[in-house]
Order: sequence, then C-alpha cells, then structure tokens
Amino acid sequence: MTTTTMPTERRPAAPAPKPAHSGSAKPRWTFAGTATAVGAVLLAVLWLVPLLWALDTSLKPEPETTRAPITWLPEAPTGDAYRSVIEQGDLIRWFVNSTVVSILVTTLTLFVSVLAAYGFSRTTFPGRRVLFGLIIAGILVPPQVLIVPLFQEMTGLGLVDTYWGIVLPQVVAPVMVFVLKKFFDGISRDYEDAARVDGASRWRIVWSVMVPMSRPILVAVGIFTFIGAWNNFLWPFIVTTDPSMMTIPVGLANVQGSYGLRYAQIMASAVLGGLPLLIVYALFQRHVVRGVGDAGIKG
Amino acid sequence: MLPNSPPFRPRRRAVLGGMLGALALTGCGTLGSKPKVREWNLFGGGDGARLLQIHDQYVAEHPDVAFQAHTLAWGPPFYTKLAMSAAGGRAPEVATMHMSRLKGFSPTTMLDPIPVDLLENAGVRQSDFLPATWDRCVIDGKLYAVPLDQHPFVLYYNLEICKKAGLLGPDNKIKPVMGVTPFLDMLRAVKETTGKYAVSVDTTSPWRLWWTLYGQLEGEFFSPDGKELVIDDAKALEALDLIAKLASEGLTPRSANYAALVAQFSNGEAGLSFNGEWEVTTYQTAKLPFSMAPFPVVYDVPKFQGDSHTFVLPHQAHRNADDTKATIEYIAWMLKHSVEWAAGGHIPAYQPVVKSQEYLDLKPQAEYRSVAPNVFYDPDAWFSGSGAQLENESAAAFSGIATGQATPKSALAQFKAATQKLLDTPSPV
Amino acid sequence: MQRPDWKQRWGGLFFVAPFLLLFALFMLWPIASGFWNSFFNTSLAGVKHEFLGLQNWRDLFGDPAVWSSLKNTLVFTAMSTPPLVIIALIMALLANRKGLLGWLLRFSYFAPFVLPATVVTLIWVWIYQPGFGLVNGLLTAGGFAEIDWLNTENRAMLAVVITTVWWTVGFNFLLYLAALQGIPTQVYEAAAIDGANGRQQLFRITLPLLSRTTGLIVVLQLVASLKIFDQIYLMTNGGPNYATRPIIQYIYESGFTSYRIGYASAISYLFFAIIVIVAVAQFKLFSGRGEAAA
Repeated sequence: MTTTTMPTERRPAAPAPKPAHSGSAKPRWTFAGTATAVGAVLLAVLWLVPLLWALDTSLKPEPETTRAPITWLPEAPTGDAYRSVIEQGDLIRWFVNSTVVSILVTTLTLFVSVLAAYGFSRTTFPGRRVLFGLIIAGILVPPQVLIVPLFQEMTGLGLVDTYWGIVLPQVVAPVMVFVLKKFFDGISRDYEDAARVDGASRWRIVWSVMVPMSRPILVAVGIFTFIGAWNNFLWPFIVTTDPSMMTIPVGLANVQGSYGLRYAQIMASAVLGGLPLLIVYALFQRHVVRGVGDAGIKG
Repeated sequence: MLPNSPPFRPRRRAVLGGMLGALALTGCGTLGSKPKVREWNLFGGGDGARLLQIHDQYVAEHPDVAFQAHTLAWGPPFYTKLAMSAAGGRAPEVATMHMSRLKGFSPTTMLDPIPVDLLENAGVRQSDFLPATWDRCVIDGKLYAVPLDQHPFVLYYNLEICKKAGLLGPDNKIKPVMGVTPFLDMLRAVKETTGKYAVSVDTTSPWRLWWTLYGQLEGEFFSPDGKELVIDDAKALEALDLIAKLASEGLTPRSANYAALVAQFSNGEAGLSFNGEWEVTTYQTAKLPFSMAPFPVVYDVPKFQGDSHTFVLPHQAHRNADDTKATIEYIAWMLKHSVEWAAGGHIPAYQPVVKSQEYLDLKPQAEYRSVAPNVFYDPDAWFSGSGAQLENESAAAFSGIATGQATPKSALAQFKAATQKLLDTPSPV
Repeated sequence: MQRPDWKQRWGGLFFVAPFLLLFALFMLWPIASGFWNSFFNTSLAGVKHEFLGLQNWRDLFGDPAVWSSLKNTLVFTAMSTPPLVIIALIMALLANRKGLLGWLLRFSYFAPFVLPATVVTLIWVWIYQPGFGLVNGLLTAGGFAEIDWLNTENRAMLAVVITTVWWTVGFNFLLYLAALQGIPTQVYEAAAIDGANGRQQLFRITLPLLSRTTGLIVVLQLVASLKIFDQIYLMTNGGPNYATRPIIQYIYESGFTSYRIGYASAISYLFFAIIVIVAVAQFKLFSGRGEAAA
C-alpha cells in the first residue's frame, strides 16, 4: 500500500514510450497478435451488450418490450419512454441532488483531507502519532456497519432528509488522508523552505506549494471521490426518506414502483441515470487510468 | 362548512388556525404561505396511473394548496421509509397505509392522531363507514387512520378464452363454481383452450392464495390472546397441496413473479388470473377482453384474502396547523371522489360512494362488491400485514412449492418455524 | 517570543482539526453509540429503551438468520473474488495497447464501473427476466429451457455474481493496467534479445512482476465483497427464500424494517469484528509476502 512513484519521475502512462513491448506487439502481422485482438474485441462487445440492450429496450414502444420471442431492434424506434420519464419530473430533481451532493462531497473531502495530510506530514504537535494511528485504524471501519447508529445520530441532529445529512459522513475518508500524507511525505522540503524564506505562512504553503505539486494525484482521487459519491447507494438510501431529497441511485431504486412494469421507461431511466458519469468517464478516461497508477492505490 | 356540523367548536379552531396561519405567514414571508400537503403512497402499476389522474384533478381544483405526491416501491421499502421518516421527524403530511399494518406501526409514537373535528368539518363522519372498518382505525380511543377502500383477492377471466372453454353463462359472465373438483375442471378447460396455462399466479409470493384457501377452510392462526401459533396443519397442508397440484398439472406456471403474472394474463398465455383487483386499469388500457368475479369458494366458507388502504398522518416533529387542515381536507376529498379510485378496482370504504349509481355502473369493478364483508385480513401481530415479515416468511417458505423445490410439508414446517421465531421475538412496538 | 512558541507547538493541530472533528462526529461517535445501544432494546419507534445486558448478544448467536446471512455473504465473496481477479488480469493484458483500439477496450471494460448500482440492477433484472429477457431469449432461441434466474434458489447467487463481475471488474482491471504500464519496457527488450517468445515473456516476466499487485487486489476485493449489499438488495431483495440475503441486509431489516435498533447494532458489531479480522490477517499476510519479495 505504498506510493512507489514520485510526481517528478512519473512515467507517462497511457501512451507508452515509443517501442512499446517490442517483443510481443510488433507491427508485423502475427496470428497470435490477431487472435488476441479479436478476443479483446469480443470481450469488449460482451461487456457492452447489457448497455446496448438497455438502450435498445428504451427505444421500443412499450408493448414490444414484453413480446415473446424477443425482437432485437425496435421495429419503430420511439422516444416516448424518455419523454414520460422526464415528464414525471423526479429524475431531474434527483439529478440536481446528485450533482450538489457529489460536488460537496468531493470538494469537502479534498479540502479536509489535504489539510489533515499536511498537518500529519509536515507539522508536529502533541498527540500527533496517536491521532494518526487512530485515523489509520479508521481505514478498517466499513461505513456499512455504522448505518444504524449513524441514522440514530442524524435523527438526533435533525439532519435526516438534508444535504448535510447525506454529505458529511461521506467526507470522513481516512484512506484519503493516508494516501495524501504518503504523497506529501515524498515531496522534497526544499520547495517549502524556499517559500518560507519568501515569508509564506504554512497555510499559504499548503495551497500554493503542496496542492499544485500534487495536482495529478488530487485530480485522480477527486474523480474517484466524485464517482463514489455519485454512485453511493447505501448511505443516501438510509438517510433520505423524502423522494425529493434522494440522489439518482436511491430515487431510481425507491420509486421504480411508480413506473410499474413499463420496461421501456425503466430502461430509459436507467440510461438517463447512467449517462452523466459515462460521459464524464469518456472525457476523463486518461486521468482515471493514470490516477490509479499514481495514487498507487485507493482502498 | 356543512349544514349539520356542530357550529361552535370548529370556529374556535378556525380562529386558532387563522392565528397560527398568520404567524406562519409573517414568519415565512409570502412565498411559503400556501398550505402544503405532501403525500406518500405505495401504488404502482394500474393503481399508480389511476392515482396520478385523480391527483391531477385534485391539484386543478386546489390551486391554493402546494400538493406533492410520491410513490415509493410497494411493501417493505415503503413501510421502512415511512417509519424512518417518522423517526427522523420530517415525515410527509399524509401517507397511505394498509389497515393490517396500522397496529404494528406503533401508531402512538410514529403517527399523529387524526383530528376528528377537522374531518367532520370536511364532511366525513364515522357513520359514513362500516362500523367494523372504522373500529379497526381507532387505537387507545383515538382515530389514527381513515379507510379509503377494501381490496379483496379476486378472479380475473379472459372473455374470449373462457367463452371458447364453455365457461360463460348466457349473460356472458363466468359461471360460479364451488368445490375443489368443479374448480379444477374449470381450470383444466381453460388450459386446454390456451394450450399453455390456465391461471396466471405469482408463485414467488403465494400468501394471498394460501390465506384465501386456508380461510375458506376456516383455519385458525393465532390464539385469541395472540401469544400462540395455533395453525391447523391438516387444513394448511390441504391448501398447500392444492397449490402444488395446480403447478404440477401445469395449470399455473411453475415459476412466475408479479410481472409475469400480469404479462401472462395480458398476452393470453393464461385465461384466468388470481390476483388482487387492482390491475383493472392495466388490462383495460391494454384493451384486453376480460371481466372479474369473486374468487371461487373452493372450500367451505366464502373468505377472500384482502386488506384496506387507509390514510394516516405520519408523526412530524413540528406539525403545522394549516398544513394539517389542508391535509384532512385532501383526505375527505379523496374519499368523496373514491368512485374514480374504485374504477381502478378497489371497493370504496366511504359508503355514500358505494351506494351511488356511478359506482354500481362500473363494470367489471362492481361485480365483486358483494365480498366486502368477507374480506379476510392478515393475522393480527406486529410482524404481520401486507408486505410485512409474516408475508415475507410465507413467500420464502411457499415459493418453492410451485417450482417443486419444496414439498408442502417441508414448506409448512419452515413457515411455522419462522412464525414461531417472530412470535418469540420481543415486540419492538 | 511566547506566541510563536505556542504556535509552533500547537499550530499543526489547526490543520488536522476539521478532519478530526468530522472523524469524531461521524465515525467515533456512531462506533461508540452503536456499541452502547447493543445492550439496550432500543426501538426505532421510540417506545423502548431499556437495558438488556447481554441479551441481544445471546439472541444473536442463537439466531439462524444471522448465520445464514453471514454464510451468504461468505459464499458471495468466495464466488465473486476469483473471477474478479482473473478476468481483470486478462482484460489488462488484452487492453495494454496503444491507439484507438486500446482506448475503446479500456472504455468498454471500465464503463460499467461508473454506473450507479441501481442502473446496473435495473438493466440486469431486465436481462434475467423470464419470458422476454435477453438471457432467456437466447436460451430459448438456442433450444434450452428458460431459467428464472433471480427466483431460483441455486441460481440467484450466481446471477448476482455475474452482474457484480460485469459491474466492478473494471476497477481491478485498472489496477492491473497501471501495474503493467509500470513495467519498464527495457525488461521486455532484454528478454526479446535473449530470444524469449510472447508466451515466455508473459509467464516468466509479466505475471511474476504482477504478483504484488495481485496480492493487493485480492485484499481489496475480499473486503469489498464482504460488504455486499446494494446489488443483492436491489435484484433479489435477499430472496428467494433468503438464499441471497447478505448480513448487511439483515442489519438493515432488523434495525429499520423491524425497528430493532439495539439488536441491529449488536449484529453490526459481529460483522465489524469479522471484517477487521479478515483485513488484518490479509494485511499481515500480504505485507509479509511483500517484504519477502523485496
């Protein structure tokens, strides 16, 4: 669980340097190479089929979805299912909720974790080791086992069905403090010393030295925090009871009953619910792939 | 105000309400001055669609009320959410609840009592309900629920298929059958006609069918004090054996969930369907030639598993008088318009509607209204009721019977053990 | 010079304070209050809160539902972990290439991971649907009998595992891919000069160099699989006949559906203990092996 690579000597990950794996993947045609490529593509198709089938169903008129034997492509594609789903209104509300919650979780998590990581990496104060040990132990605590007492606590605080109720417990990510501290430990102190000579306070050093120097890893963990918050099911499911406060995953699960057995609508809402992050991922794929390598690991 | 309602008391309430309203107004400014009614319900499928229409009409007639309705997934998800929201203090103003769930929901802490005077002001009185129905809503001398309907387990039949099978009388209605043999003969005739199944049933939760059959055998469940399980093994097994026989003869599917139940009746794979009466709208929308009748009296007495939907006020930490008044008026409005609700299949609880010509003219919805007094509610316990644990235990135990994975005997043993375990669990309410 | 001294000594606490506050409020406090509640018959309905002593703990060990849901959790973990590691490795080997094809492969393999659980389960429940679902449509088209996947006791868990593999293998795939891309190309060049063919390179160089990553992935995956709840709750609701109900769902049902907050807290602690034991044992094993390899 260590970060083995440093920012300064990071290997550009996605496109490998020129002669990539010259042994196995020469441009020259080989039977093995082609077979591997075909296998890779077949596996990719297999992985995409469920998504395409959902899209396919969502474009069918409702009666066609339950016809036996099944039809492969819609006979007359229609956007009716999408229209009904959007007109029911809730989906837009949940989209807004998910966006607010995910942004709050991501920024707050990064904010408090960066500060804490800096505190543990660069400052000394009485009890520092004990506190850091406590936080490391916190990595072992699965949030799932806290749902019951945490809900009781939220009831007491009056935070059930509020954004803060959804957000705050998700901000507590001990593993993030751990990963960032390790990363900060690897940054040479020379940069800070230079800044200090210029009269910068420690607060300013955090934001004008440490953060810029760890930008790639912050982007990577930021993206994963965002995906995690957007997709988090269990906690928002527990702490929201009012459908107008639900996030997309919870809302879709709770209110699916109101769509009854209309599969085209169910699939349309699934497509709409999944699309935002698919787009985000398509745009940021390089950061995601590289981030995993950088962070060495989240988990 | 209605002409014969007591003239004096409400006025004081009204003044108080007005003052509180004024306070709220000054507190919240002009935007928040509309009373708000947030309603949660558990109606999916045809019911859900019907409710949406009725709510549209309510909203159109009440521009002065900020109304918001939400449908949550039926059964445990709905009731769990409702309980958590009542515990959390930000519950909606009003929610639907099965009558059979009322006592187990801890009404004294999780619900707010319904102000009877406000209800009377809105024109709804105790005398508008069957006494047995009303009495079930009163706990510790306070009214905690207002019944909307009753919904028995019924028989749906496809007119074309049943005609071919020779099951319709001259009036084009299905000829009533009584007794096991005529019942099975009817099903076999349908199966021959469809070439696939006779009946579409939900094999994953056979509770309604089993409880109907067990009730028709006059089986007992709990002792009168509710402390002991006194299930009659012979009768329980007789009903389960029949369910197993239906599946093994291919009269019902070996494995079908609720979605399949609806689909198989819709696409004609089955000519009959055993289900609650709430899918009328679905089949009407699909333009299916069908009608409905009381479930056959297969055994000794007419009993039909069923329940009632009621309106309750979930507990709120800070209940607003204006909102409550608007909420009670909403409930009253819904009862008075329950003929539209009845069009979705349910038998209205509000008697003025039951007696109305408008309701009697509803076909096939008025065809089975005679069963109302024979609706057989789930056993009385904190873990019982529609979608509650007892039903889930029965689903877990009995769903293997149709598939052949479990014998009626082993399924009954599992169900009894599970029920005993629930009885032994200290009640949390 | 009093102030700077004080600042020097305690100023660092200022940086960790925001995190510590949240940590105390939303992790330490619920851990403590959950433990406290496990000795009471606390009810969600707010009607009861009486001291029970060890009653909840005794009930827990005699409750077959605890053990069956724990067993389901372990079965799921055992069934899901191997494919989630092996398929991820295969994918990484296949997708470690340049250009558009590489991009498309990486996109396809990882895409399901970014979907919310609900979207995944809505799609897969529909795929498994008897009568008109995709899987059964293919089965019947191929002349096989239909299977009601999610309602058949010995098929439901398999169905959930297949869905889970499809959904989450992408994360492990990325971990492997990152590790693969971290292997210096000179190693392969040297091997090629020595005349090693593709297969020899795979088994003699690539796989041995990935062993550390594999250890890490196995640890992460085991702990993640033990925490199973979302997919099962959404696809089978723990059924049929509780054959798939995981322990977290039983905690949820005890606490919120049956209002037994005290009892649910006790079960949470049992599960907590198991997770900690597994994680610590794994960590010890893994870090021990890591040192040996280093």
